[in-house]
Amino acid sequence: MRIPNFFLALLVTTSLLHAAPEIGKPAPDFTLKDGTGKEHSLSDYAGKTVVLEWFNEGCPFVKKHYGSRNMQDLQKAATDSGVVWLTIISSAPGKQGHYTPEQAVAKYEELGMASTALLLDESGEVGRAYNARTTPEMFVIDSKGTLVYMGAIDDKPTPDPASLDGAKNYVQAALTELAAGEPVSTPQTKSYGCGVKY
Amino acid sequence: MRPVLFALLLLAFLGQRLPAQEYEGKMLVTASLIADTTAIVPGKPFRVGVLLEMAPKWHTYWQYSGDAGIPTSIEWKLPEGWGVGPIEWPLPEAILEPGDIQVYAYGDKVMLIQQIQPPAEIIESNINLEANVSWLVCEEICIPGKATVSRMLPVAGHAEPDNAAIFEEWTAKLPSMDPPPFDVTWQREGDSWVGTVEAPAGTEAVEFFPLPAEGEVIGHPKISGSAKDGFTIRISAPGDLRGVLAIKDANGERGWWVTPSPPSTSLWQALLFGFLGGIILNLMPCVLPVISLKVFGFVRQAGQSPRTILLHGLAFTAGIFVWFLGLGLVIVAIRAAGGQATWAFQFQNPWFNIAIATIVFVFALNLFGVFEIALPGRATNALAQAGGHEGYSGSFFQGVFATLLATPCTGPFLGASLGYAFAQPAPVTLALFACIAAGMALPYLLLSAQPGWVKYLPKPGLWMERLKQFMGFPLLAALLWLLYIIGAQRGSEAVIWVGAFLLTVGVACWIFGIVSPPVVPARSRVVGLTLSVLLLVGGGWLFLGDLLAKSRPASVQQASGGIPWEPYSKAAVDTLLAEGKPVFIDFTADWCLTCKYNERTAIDVPAVREKIQELGIVPVKADWTNSNPEITEALKQFGRVGVPFYVIYPAGRPNEPIILPELLTESLVLSKLSEAR
Repeated sequence: MRIPNFFLALLVTTSLLHAAPEIGKPAPDFTLKDGTGKEHSLSDYAGKTVVLEWFNEGCPFVKKHYGSRNMQDLQKAATDSGVVWLTIISSAPGKQGHYTPEQAVAKYEELGMASTALLLDESGEVGRAYNARTTPEMFVIDSKGTLVYMGAIDDKPTPDPASLDGAKNYVQAALTELAAGEPVSTPQTKSYGCGVKY
Repeated sequence: MRPVLFALLLLAFLGQRLPAQEYEGKMLVTASLIADTTAIVPGKPFRVGVLLEMAPKWHTYWQYSGDAGIPTSIEWKLPEGWGVGPIEWPLPEAILEPGDIQVYAYGDKVMLIQQIQPPAEIIESNINLEANVSWLVCEEICIPGKATVSRMLPVAGHAEPDNAAIFEEWTAKLPSMDPPPFDVTWQREGDSWVGTVEAPAGTEAVEFFPLPAEGEVIGHPKISGSAKDGFTIRISAPGDLRGVLAIKDANGERGWWVTPSPPSTSLWQALLFGFLGGIILNLMPCVLPVISLKVFGFVRQAGQSPRTILLHGLAFTAGIFVWFLGLGLVIVAIRAAGGQATWAFQFQNPWFNIAIATIVFVFALNLFGVFEIALPGRATNALAQAGGHEGYSGSFFQGVFATLLATPCTGPFLGASLGYAFAQPAPVTLALFACIAAGMALPYLLLSAQPGWVKYLPKPGLWMERLKQFMGFPLLAALLWLLYIIGAQRGSEAVIWVGAFLLTVGVACWIFGIVSPPVVPARSRVVGLTLSVLLLVGGGWLFLGDLLAKSRPASVQQASGGIPWEPYSKAAVDTLLAEGKPVFIDFTADWCLTCKYNERTAIDVPAVREKIQELGIVPVKADWTNSNPEITEALKQFGRVGVPFYVIYPAGRPNEPIILPELLTESLVLSKLSEAR
């Protein structure tokens, strides 16, 4: 009994190891559609810095960053300086935060998003490939396609908008360091928020 | 009449209404506050509980929420001078949501318990206890909620317990600070902790709720196994981790706080020392001559067959093992009879220290040759007889008796091993004695395998006597350490009286040494022995019973004037934490050499002193030199049974204590102190 169990555990562990994204390793490639039906692949943006943002409009932690326009401002600043910002929804159909393509187009305008694209991942495949567990959850990929940051957006794990004042924004810090050609000083943090609604 | 009736109705309605969170017309969470006392008695701590009742399928979070969610927080609005302890969290439920999202949460309802420390003087006749509670409640979706809960309690000189049943119900669900009453061994495998749990019979399931350091990313605990084969917990974590280990059986679920740590390296050191000590035993004057005799004996008995020589060597080795393992079993039995006393704890008792000092001193005198211990003639005869036996049983009994004969020389060594063995679980004790046996048996085994190597043995001679005498000095060094502890416990006067007592012991031993050899006439021996006993009794009565007992215990020293230590008390620390101050607690004792070393090299140094002052950290010294139940309890809360132990409570985050390792460096202390702000 013990030996097969051990091998089973080994198998599970190794398969998990392959699945989990790792800092310093190539970020898993993916292809997703936005609300207009246009396909976006990570490999399309080779040579550019890419930010992935997991999004669920109904989540109070996401609301903190959108209600205050903190997230939109960050998206704007990043895309203005040539960074590709992909906002991804992994909510399953019928679950909170799920958008139909039409809703996605309308909500992008309504919320004043400034990301490169709002992508729909209703099967949750890309979310699982990145092991995304919360909304918001952030990933930064450098121009060589290497994952250089994953985790929380900032160091204040609360839905209270007042906490934005004085918060250390890890994504902003990572982008600044990348732009200066420096290594990312905080490559991994514990993300916070609501669970992704797979 | 009508407005009055309306107002009354409104009042009744308001009186019943509880702070609650509504969502789409549904009550999601209802919060209320209860106390375990009918009144507040000034200076007397009591407990309060914030009870959260969740709508079906909704949950709020534990102190570590897991991959998503955030823990409930309680912010007290108490008058100046009041203290609040940390939240005590009942066992949570581990919920795995789609997408492999692991959270630790409470469904249905939960009561978060805290201790409140009122000041010694209260002028008001009623006190309104009030707190802001905020939480995140999730089902499919998550909604933050908050409420202000309050309860008015009268201030009185006497109070009755209140809400006993509900406090009892929730206290039973709190993880225990004691070590679990079953064996758990942890191992580091790659980046994971792997724990083997020998859960008691009847266990249906084992759970582990991890509590990582703030911001640390950890994996999900994976539990496998069964009650019959034992359970295994595997969790990936980059560093140290605390957590609650829980077992479920027919009576429900209970949990214990545990801190995974690999079996201590000191165990391997102890086993190595045991082995080396065993080898050194062979160099002692009582033993060395036996070796070559025995080996020549094997050779003679066996003729020229190398195989038979080896078998004799093995039989002799078996004899040595039987003797030492027997001794190990005796220790295990004594300890089982004596309960769970920890060894280090014993050093808190000055009388224990005096007894040990006396034994160490007597052993040193023995090594210096002031007196000899002769075994009864019967034992010597038995050895001779056993040696006369032919065959392997003869070699076996020779092994047993050679070790017995060696006892006078091995005593001081065994003393140290015994001291260590007493504090260890049974398997460790036996392993230690097996190592001593292996060390002692090694030369015999080697020589029986390669009889030709006999020529490399050092020749017995005067050097052996010198070596024996030299071994007395390390014992005197140990004596100095014991006297230092006694001095710290009872003052310098006490050291003098213990020294005077040891002087009479020394004279008594010297007289015993003169009269004990068999050539001394019986009359002289009786006189000498009587004199020895009189000296011992007289010295003991005068110096220990009278003068020492009258000496005053050492007062709390503030000798190392550098850091302005505050003495430890739970109430004081709780008050500091409630005020949001960062606190550094040094759990120490004068008999703990590691503690002293750390204090001198890494704590009471200029850079650390400045850092403490700069960050406004309150340094607290929990001095365990003399027994102090409050400090014992505090250590238990962290799953510790001894010192050194260092903990930093960061400012405003008393629930996230930073635990320092046992061996400190200045840079490590500085960096950990910086985290406290």
